[in-house]
Amino acid sequence: MNYAIVPNWFAGYNAILELMFFVIALLVGVYSIRIYRLSGQRQSKLLGISFLFISAAYFIQSILNFAASYSMADWCSMQSMAVTHSLSNFGIYAHMILFITGIVTLAYMTLKINDLKAYALFLAAILAVLLLSSNKLYFFYALSSILLIYISFYYLGNYLDSRKMSTLIVFTAFLFLLFGKIHFIFSIDHGTFYVAGHLLEFVAYVLILTNLISVIRRK
Amino acid sequence: MSKKRDKLQIIYDILSVVKGRNGKIKPTNILYKSNLSNQMFSEYMNELMQKGFVVENKLKSGKTYSLTQKGFDYLDKYQMIVDFTSSFGLSD
Repeated sequence: MNYAIVPNWFAGYNAILELMFFVIALLVGVYSIRIYRLSGQRQSKLLGISFLFISAAYFIQSILNFAASYSMADWCSMQSMAVTHSLSNFGIYAHMILFITGIVTLAYMTLKINDLKAYALFLAAILAVLLLSSNKLYFFYALSSILLIYISFYYLGNYLDSRKMSTLIVFTAFLFLLFGKIHFIFSIDHGTFYVAGHLLEFVAYVLILTNLISVIRRK
Repeated sequence: MSKKRDKLQIIYDILSVVKGRNGKIKPTNILYKSNLSNQMFSEYMNELMQKGFVVENKLKSGKTYSLTQKGFDYLDKYQMIVDFTSSFGLSD
């Protein structure tokens, strides 16, 4: 499997950013489940589940990158580096599967259909393409980007229907998430894109958090 | 002409009507005050009972409805629910 190139100076910062993404995605997930419990609205449950999957994906990625930056330290033994390497393969697979499941659940939510068989087929097809591909990391970023293009169009429609600041913030956030994932496609060859991808995702999650805080404050 | 009500708004309207005369309101009163067709009213009331927002009380004089704690919570947090669901595009 190919790996993204991480510039040395960025090692550690990536893990901190991913930890932030984990916390924000977790907050949205938990809040969405709370809204589901209050309203009984199925789509809130799906949004909550999708963000919980995404948060779990970032948590694993963050732990993985903390471990990687630890194993790069001068005083670290070869044995611990070997353990880190074998764990990192498992971690990358777990991150990819959890993130794709989250994004597929979000895309399914936007379709506004209630058919578990269709959801299972949709998810199985995408996971099969990902896991059977020769270059999993490229396919992971490419599939995520395709799904995020679809989701961004949905949120563009949502903004055009309502013309509210909150819907514009959420649409912009998903656009930044999309740009971030597109940058990650090129991070396999260039470290600069890896940094840019993280910064774009940082903007996206700050926007999502801003929207969440404004909703909570308005109550 | 008023804007078409969405599902969250209709639920809010029904629950508000039930709250107004909690435990004493009859189906015909809710139907009249919530401004729904017979079929829509039945569908909504079944859903609200199924999801635990209202309970049906069977009396000698007929059926009445009252709000559960979940129903009261929905009315309290309605604006927050609307803000959250509209910003994340969660309308049914």
